[in-house]
Amino acid sequence: MGSRAATAIMSRAQRIQTKLQSALQTTVLEIEDVSHQHAGHAAMRGNTAGETHFNLKIVSPKFDGLSLVNRHRLVYDALAEELQSGLHALSIMAAKTPVELSATKK
Amino acid sequence: MLNDHFSGLALPKGLVQATGWVHPTGTRHLSTVPSDPDTHEDFHPSNKTENSNASLKDIVEQDVRDNPVMVYMKGVPDYPQCGFSALAIRVLRLYEVPLSARNIIENPELKDAVKSFSNWPTFPQVFVKGEFIGGSDIVLNLHQNGELKEMLKDIAASKKAD
Repeated sequence: MGSRAATAIMSRAQRIQTKLQSALQTTVLEIEDVSHQHAGHAAMRGNTAGETHFNLKIVSPKFDGLSLVNRHRLVYDALAEELQSGLHALSIMAAKTPVELSATKK
Repeated sequence: MLNDHFSGLALPKGLVQATGWVHPTGTRHLSTVPSDPDTHEDFHPSNKTENSNASLKDIVEQDVRDNPVMVYMKGVPDYPQCGFSALAIRVLRLYEVPLSARNIIENPELKDAVKSFSNWPTFPQVFVKGEFIGGSDIVLNLHQNGELKEMLKDIAASKKAD
């Protein structure tokens, strides 16, 4: 319960960071709050959660051997609570393994 | 020119109003039963709701089986009501394949049925040849890496042959 109380006072961005780091052991994690770009669109009327839309770039060894859709499923699974509490959408701009990342750098 | 195909989506009789049917002109259909405070609870359509949930699952199954490219989205292809839905449609339209779509904003029950069918929390949701592909970010990714072209090429070819 103590940890739940602690996560409750963190911003959603911080919670996303904590949850993805622990679930996916991310080696690179970029989280960008783009909620302002979506404020006022049809589905957001009445949503007061504030932090609703994020862009993510994730590098994780857990993605190894998985298709893109299954990589995204891992992310959504890790953030299931957030999605149920006002997180509206994620744009997962990159979901790579450390090996794939180093291959693109060469 | 690209024509969006809506006509192939025949619905089980009696469910047309309950499905938030995407119409090319953007016509809205009622998707909720008006609540009447005078109606005794015996007359509430509880069984109907359960039945329609089961039927909605059938509709989703039929949608993805019968439509080579099926999109569940916010708004309609010509008037998306969310940037992500707009992005998915914009990318898919590059390939000149028939697109079928349903507007989930109009029907929360259909929205829930799609979510549990794909086990995916957000919209849009894109299915190609019966297979769940993902949301707009995945569609964009598959477009950029060439996989989408591979996935859609026989659909595009069969459309040309028509």
